Amino acid sequence: MMKAMIVIDNLNKHFKSGDDIFKVLKGINLQINSGECIVLKGVSGSGKTTLLSIIGGLDRPSSGKVLVEGESISKLPDLHISHFRARKIGMIFQHFNLFDHLTAAENVMIPLIPTGLDMHEVNHKVEVSLKLANIFHKANSAAGRLSGGEKQRVAIARALASNPAIILCDEPTANLDRNNSLKFIDILSQLHEMGKTIVVATHDPLFDTLPFESKIIPMEDGSLVDTFSKDTLAES
Amino acid sequence: MRTSPFFHFLMLGFFKERKKHIGVIAISLVILFLLGSALFISSSIRYSLNQTLAWEPDFVVQRTQGGQKVNAPTAWIDDLLEVHGISKVTPRVYGRYFFKAKENSFLIVGVDFMDEQSNKALRMMMDETDLKQFLKGDNMLVGEGVSTHLKTHFYPNGYTFLTPKGVFKKVNLFKVLPKKSNLISNDMIIVPIELAREILGMGEDEVSDIALNVPNDDEWDNVADKISAFYYDIHVTTKEDIKKAYENLYNYKGGVFLILFLIVIVTFVLILYQRYSMVYSSERRHIGLLRALGWSIRDVLKLKFFETMMIVVIAFVLGVALAYLYVFVLGAPLLREIFLGGANLPNSVILVPVLDFGILSSIFLIYAIPFISAVLIPTWKIAVTDPKEAML
Repeated sequence: MMKAMIVIDNLNKHFKSGDDIFKVLKGINLQINSGECIVLKGVSGSGKTTLLSIIGGLDRPSSGKVLVEGESISKLPDLHISHFRARKIGMIFQHFNLFDHLTAAENVMIPLIPTGLDMHEVNHKVEVSLKLANIFHKANSAAGRLSGGEKQRVAIARALASNPAIILCDEPTANLDRNNSLKFIDILSQLHEMGKTIVVATHDPLFDTLPFESKIIPMEDGSLVDTFSKDTLAES
Repeated sequence: MRTSPFFHFLMLGFFKERKKHIGVIAISLVILFLLGSALFISSSIRYSLNQTLAWEPDFVVQRTQGGQKVNAPTAWIDDLLEVHGISKVTPRVYGRYFFKAKENSFLIVGVDFMDEQSNKALRMMMDETDLKQFLKGDNMLVGEGVSTHLKTHFYPNGYTFLTPKGVFKKVNLFKVLPKKSNLISNDMIIVPIELAREILGMGEDEVSDIALNVPNDDEWDNVADKISAFYYDIHVTTKEDIKKAYENLYNYKGGVFLILFLIVIVTFVLILYQRYSMVYSSERRHIGLLRALGWSIRDVLKLKFFETMMIVVIAFVLGVALAYLYVFVLGAPLLREIFLGGANLPNSVILVPVLDFGILSSIFLIYAIPFISAVLIPTWKIAVTDPKEAML
């Protein structure tokens, strides 16, 4: 029996603007097991990025809760939620979000700094992550001078640096060409083989037919529409 | 030595983004340099004044008529000697001599060389003077300002004074007083007391004022009251009054510097605003990203605190060091004129190096606290918002 990594229980998120209330997420219930790959699919404004942010502890729900490995993260104080993000979550953002003035290696180092490791361990982890993301040859290049695909691989290396159990990807191929998008999917496949729990928020059709087992969950207007396995989707 | 990843990252960020910091450091350096220079100059002048005034007599008794100071009769000396607690009474003869050529005046000070000098400052200045030689003829000791002035007007070896009786009196320049006493001796001419009386047109039974010492400080008020009661036209000035008068003079000069200070403060406020808005604009995304990557609010504040402290310390150390060199090695060209300029004769006072750590700490705190706050407050405001929102 697969162990539940993430459990989302009746999750709601709304934003207030004056007297108006915008409901972004409406009663989401979802269980993501350890080692699973979930693709949240939907158009812009469907709520997939907000859901991803709440799972990653970057945002807080208006009601409901998110449990990660049995622990509720929704109301953790800052120090604990930061610790959770540093150890458990690897984030890959749509716009890569690198520090352009730092090198690839220095960017990868950032999530390791608050973990209390010494410099030797940090350097070792940075090297391993860069190699995993196949970007070690650009370790000393300034992030601002890398191509889009290279930046994405640095972002992947950074997400892997602290060896997190969960990898969250927000529109990871939105700024990549088809070739680099396919390379990204290859790396995702390797991460899946490593047993990482992966959640991808995207509207890219490339994720409809991933070369490894995955579950596609369409989102619409803040709700989960249905759950499909890759095979179900192919049949339909 | 094991390097902490945090400090490694701090240094990386600081040096790789040095262009962002250089402007702020440069402006801060100028501000701290100006502040430091002004305070070094005023501390040095105050120190020199205190040193000089320490040798002044405790009391000076003058005669006033219609609110104006006039010569006092020598008969007062005997009355003063009878007051219990007074240890020494010395009549003094001095006055200003108008130098027509450039509309300047010199301070003529008559000294009774046969008497032990009450004014130790004068004695200190004349320590190396060969008195026998000096008293052989009509000689004078002059301050550096007087010497320069006379040389400029072709009187290198002496000057011919015109007495109030219409008689010319030629006096030879015997020696120039040491430069270290310039703060008080710059426009001074020291001559024997009889010669001073002749030049200033004073009778033998007249003195400019009478100096006296009261060794017991607790008796000062009593003695001052007793003396004041002797004559209706007597005026008593204490050493403290003289000190206050000098301090007021230099505070006023410091007031001129206030204009510069105002400019400096306005610039500083602009820097603070720039830092404040910079954090809100360009650094907002960085802070959000650090938070998203697992940095706690405390980690982010720690990074920004140390980064700002580096700017503050670099600017402070360089600014104060440059101010020190400028004031005490180069002699504070231009700025010194604000404090010493406007005097009767151009003064070339040596600024004695004085480091007032209380003032230095105050400058540091006055500069550092607002500067660090201007960074940490917006950083904290951004850091407490959700990382997702901060990264937008």
